[in-house]
Amino acid sequence: MNWTWFYRMGSPKWFYQTTSKMLPILLAVTASLLLVGLVWGLGFAPQDAKQGNSFRIIYLHVPASLLALAGYFLMAIAGAIGLIWRMKLSYMVMKCAAPLGAVLTFIALFTGAVWGKPTWGSYWVWDARVTSMLILLFLYLGVLALGSAFQSQDVANKASAILALVGTVNIPIIYKSVDWWFTLHQPSTIKFTEAPSMHPDMFHPLLVMILGFYCFYAVALCLAVRVEILNRERRSQWVRDVIGQADKGNRGVFR
Amino acid sequence: MIFQFDSIQQMIEMDGHGAYVWTAVVVSLLAMLFLVLKPVISRRAVVEEIFVELEREQRLKTNQSEIG
Repeated sequence: MNWTWFYRMGSPKWFYQTTSKMLPILLAVTASLLLVGLVWGLGFAPQDAKQGNSFRIIYLHVPASLLALAGYFLMAIAGAIGLIWRMKLSYMVMKCAAPLGAVLTFIALFTGAVWGKPTWGSYWVWDARVTSMLILLFLYLGVLALGSAFQSQDVANKASAILALVGTVNIPIIYKSVDWWFTLHQPSTIKFTEAPSMHPDMFHPLLVMILGFYCFYAVALCLAVRVEILNRERRSQWVRDVIGQADKGNRGVFR
Repeated sequence: MIFQFDSIQQMIEMDGHGAYVWTAVVVSLLAMLFLVLKPVISRRAVVEEIFVELEREQRLKTNQSEIG
């Protein structure tokens, strides 16, 4: 089998040039999806029979939580690829995914807390789902901290990758927590094996928001990895060409 | 698809749940804005550094050719 495509994908230069072309389109798609999803979810989706209007927080809470979990897998897989094939780009992706995931986990916890107040009567409960999400936040912060705790970049990369891989144990625990324990948190709205437990009028805007969050994740990750590439590859000729071509007034983000 | 509120005022209030919903929306959007702005700002700094390096090398080259 021909593996050249795999190694080409691992080249920072290839990544940088490809994302230069893709980012403007992806950014436009992200902005439109989020705008449509938010207006639809906040203004046009019907109220929940039991929770009233507070349920509209779901349009941020569920997509952010999903991406916090999916982003953790992505970070761990990037770390594994780095450990096995020693790809520089892979470690850069891992490093940039950590703060991104931490912020998304924060959004999930925060929106959950303000949703909990009118629904459960409390901003915070030590419920299995909420607690395992808090552990996810600490795992992200741990990977972030380990990445800058060593003098050698190589050792830092390896340590972060191992922590990221060990931490994946937490992901199925979060996902299954509402089934395994008696929790205050409501059961999953979306399941891989069943139809959604939600009316289509409420579910469609949620799907738009989830798609929008996936695109947003891709945009934010690409932007961060591109800066990391410029920073680490600044001695290489192609980076100097990219920067050299731009004059002082014209150094757009997508160059 | 019908707009669920009689007025914008009612949409802001959301039957008493407005404070919760809008806090969640504003904080989430601010956090997401931060995720996009942070790399844009740090990129500017990195590009500036590389640009200064390039200019210095260029100056060194022209100086050397004048002496030589």
